[in-house]
Amino acid sequence: MKQFSEEELLAPGHRACPGCGSILAVRYALKALGKNTIVCAPTGCMEVVTTPYPETAWRVPWIHVAFENAAAVASGVEAGLKSLGKRGIKVVAIGGDGGTVDIGLQALSGMVERNHNVLYICTDNEAYMNCLSTSSLIMTKDGLKKITEVKEGDEIYTFDLKTHQPVLKRCIGIFDNGAREVFEIETLHHTISATPNHPFLVLKRNGRGRKNKLVWKTLCELKVRDRIVVLKNLNGGKSFKFRFNPIQKGGKVTHLNEVNLPKHSSPAFMKYLGIWVGDGWVRPGRGEVGFALPKGSNERRSLVKLQHVLFGNGVRTNDMYIYMNSVNLARFIHFLGFGSGAKNKTIPPWIFTLSKEEKEAFIEGLMLSDGYKNGNSFRYVSASHELLQRLRLLLQTMGYRVGKIHWQERKKGRKCVHRRLLKDTAFGYICFSKRKKWNVKKYPSQYKYQNFLIENGHFEMEKIEKIKLVGKEPTLDLRVEGEHNFIADGIVVHNTGIQRSGATPYSAWTTTTPVGKVKRGEDLPKKDMPAIIAAHRAPYVATASVGYPLDYIKKVKKAASIEGPTYIHVHCPCGPGWRIDSSKTIEIAKLAVLTGMWNLYEIENGVFKLTFKPPKRRPVADYLKMQRRFRHLTDEEIAGIQRTVDEEWKRLGIS
Amino acid sequence: MKQLVTGDEAAAIAAKLARVKVISAYPITPQTIIVERLAEFVADGELDAEYIKVESEHSALSACLGSAAVGARTFTATSSQGLMLMSEILFVASGMRLPIVMANANRSLSAPLSIWCDQQDSVAVRDCGWIQLYCENNQEVLDSTIQAFRIAEESLLPVMVCFDGYILSHTAEPVEIPEQAEVDKFLPPYKYPYLLDPEKPITMGAVGVPEYYEEFRYMLQEAVLKSKEKIIEVGQAFGRQFGRKSDLIECYRSDDADVILLTMGSLSGSVKEVIDEYRGHDERVGLVKVRAFRPFPEKELVDSLAHAKAIAVLEKDFSPGSTGALFSDLSGTFVNSRKSPLLLNFICGLGGRDVSSLQIREATKAAMEAAKIGEVKKTVRWLGLRETMVGLKP
Repeated sequence: MKQFSEEELLAPGHRACPGCGSILAVRYALKALGKNTIVCAPTGCMEVVTTPYPETAWRVPWIHVAFENAAAVASGVEAGLKSLGKRGIKVVAIGGDGGTVDIGLQALSGMVERNHNVLYICTDNEAYMNCLSTSSLIMTKDGLKKITEVKEGDEIYTFDLKTHQPVLKRCIGIFDNGAREVFEIETLHHTISATPNHPFLVLKRNGRGRKNKLVWKTLCELKVRDRIVVLKNLNGGKSFKFRFNPIQKGGKVTHLNEVNLPKHSSPAFMKYLGIWVGDGWVRPGRGEVGFALPKGSNERRSLVKLQHVLFGNGVRTNDMYIYMNSVNLARFIHFLGFGSGAKNKTIPPWIFTLSKEEKEAFIEGLMLSDGYKNGNSFRYVSASHELLQRLRLLLQTMGYRVGKIHWQERKKGRKCVHRRLLKDTAFGYICFSKRKKWNVKKYPSQYKYQNFLIENGHFEMEKIEKIKLVGKEPTLDLRVEGEHNFIADGIVVHNTGIQRSGATPYSAWTTTTPVGKVKRGEDLPKKDMPAIIAAHRAPYVATASVGYPLDYIKKVKKAASIEGPTYIHVHCPCGPGWRIDSSKTIEIAKLAVLTGMWNLYEIENGVFKLTFKPPKRRPVADYLKMQRRFRHLTDEEIAGIQRTVDEEWKRLGIS
Repeated sequence: MKQLVTGDEAAAIAAKLARVKVISAYPITPQTIIVERLAEFVADGELDAEYIKVESEHSALSACLGSAAVGARTFTATSSQGLMLMSEILFVASGMRLPIVMANANRSLSAPLSIWCDQQDSVAVRDCGWIQLYCENNQEVLDSTIQAFRIAEESLLPVMVCFDGYILSHTAEPVEIPEQAEVDKFLPPYKYPYLLDPEKPITMGAVGVPEYYEEFRYMLQEAVLKSKEKIIEVGQAFGRQFGRKSDLIECYRSDDADVILLTMGSLSGSVKEVIDEYRGHDERVGLVKVRAFRPFPEKELVDSLAHAKAIAVLEKDFSPGSTGALFSDLSGTFVNSRKSPLLLNFICGLGGRDVSSLQIREATKAAMEAAKIGEVKKTVRWLGLRETMVGLKP
């Protein structure tokens, strides 16, 4: 371990994903190379995560020009230093696999051929390479959807970074990112769960008298008291057209008791549904819609009036209940998707697409049943957590200030909302109130300082109150065209991707080599880049792995000491791209070597030497089965890969 | 001392006189003589520089960015398709404010393949943030290239010196070659203020997130606009020292002219001949030559053109679906001015076709006709077009 310099030339606080193999390779290389180094980088992950202006993680001089020319830029740097007589500065190009084996190959070939004194390190994560918890609710054109229900092509609300307004954009991909560590962010009125690398839109204060700005920050960079952009109001809704098919008489159905079913949503009907969500039940089999409303309550009077307006006559009442028997009405209410049973009730997506007036009527209905008013604040009580969660988001689209869900368990018989609890001992409530009117005109700068988006009709800033780890959860991510962000749980977040490169191994899944009915992932083998460079008669070519840092550092030091073009190809697992857990990077990197999928060798002046031979070669299945990019592989396919590896070992003469 | 040299040689000699440290170029006709001469200078030890024999124009310019970033005076040369391959890096060079000087021997673009002269290549990349200077003769090629280093280094912008392929690049003319000591006085060794230096590590070419990108582009715009003063200043300083001053534009017998022809590059020489002929017949015709196409000399052009009745813009480029680029820029400058002359556009000399005095006269006559009747019948005309081939005539 003495070979490790204590000096960190790559500053911590860069934005690489947790468990990133490539950033480790960069860090180790800098430890081996030391301060007297100039780094040239192509466009790629390592460039993006280390240098978002005005920040940089590089404590050595660093230059990036474009994607395909790191080797050419390094040639220029080397020649420039030489022409000025500056000696002893090591020029290093560090590129990803795309910038090296694909688009950057020509420039690299030229650099090696011209014998520039440059060390080129390829951090190979085997593809051009962020996620939300699967419980996230996404705001779409068709209302609120679970992230698991969003499909490609759905129109999703995004935040326009220029106009600060909501716009609809098409979803162009959904990615399963596997079970990962998930954190929960809580602001005054919003809550969201996301992985640590997920970007959020944060307010950046630039000091007194200067304009504040919105910047993207990943969850792990967020701090309590940071202000993030959240949704406050979404206009433009309209009346919802029901596509319900009533059944006809026949079979077991002998009486239909037809009533006038509404074709469109209306304020009166929404109020009725609000009351139904609170106190109603439906038995589609029996054709019964009922409400548990004792005689004499305000709510009962409103309901009777509403039913009369909506459906005409046919209401049966007794001291405790109100019934209506109509097969199609019962089926209709069931069809609307509010769920059944106090604990399972919910708010269906289409409610989110309604006009403000209808949403207000729905809330009015809800409040009549299970709500009460305390001063200026309203409180709604329910035994269904999902209902509260969705109600919270619904209220957030209507410009209300909404508190968090207070969930509690109480003994049976305890009084709650003027009623004794029967079975539902677990229940929750949320409080909400109308927004205060700020006198923005009179005190513009003061309010704008407090709330950057105060004049915005749709979004506002909220302070983060809590960030906590909630454990491992399945995660998903969306990709949205154009704006690259979407609104999840009422918070503006960013999306992400993983495209194949020439270094992608045979049969691996990427977003551009999907596994479908006909194609089974990448159909071409990995390009043998070290051999290509060795064919240029480079004095030193080596392979390495972040799983074996000592071997890697030794090779970097050796390459740097050799005059002329040298090349190190270092194998770096990528958590999101390989579909592996962020804690498994090193384990997977080691397994690649132990199974023979990646070999550690050096070619010095044309002489091949294996620098590490696994004591006993393990089956490739051990390596493949740990990565979900290979999860589609059948035993036969794995056997095929095993054969390729065996042959490769035979070819290298090391088996 | 006067020597008989071609335009390419003039550019190579200018680079040598500027004592460039790094040359990174890939050969392309009609620029080849530049890289050949420079390679010879380096081989003969006449020039102490690193010559990078890159494998493509893309890498040529990329290497230039690298060497300029460590503080070496850097030169490259290209033409046509090569410039197009460089175009991605052209934008990066100006965005990173690296003072690179490039000689571009103007040549047409494929398809059809043509190795002959027009100005479509450099005009196509007019939005890349480089300063573009166009030369009329080989003397101007030499003078502008030497000046370009000082303009680039003092305004931290890359400069493209454009001269017509073959017409200048391969044609020998007597050129006054200044003494090395004089050039050294005019052009002191290059000191770039923002070096890639392990002693003071900096990050170059960072990611510009939406919160910052626009500001960077605004600063680039300001820099290019401000470089106008630098071009004038350097042109005057050069004039004081070498007796040949240059400006953003050059006016030739245009002060009292009713009809003014506007050109860029070598065409100006032929136009001057025609102007003299007209002047002999007491026709008030003049020429304004645009030397700096970027930054576009709006004010200067309005000042020197506004008094005329009609302007004929002759150019060796066009934007398909629009007009010639110089013409559209010029029309833009007159948009908010109180008095605007009539503007006519003539596309000519594409793909190396000679522009004859007959064609220049045809353009002048059309402009005089427009000035007389006070209206333009046809805004864009093509000179010397084989009308039967394109179906305009049976």
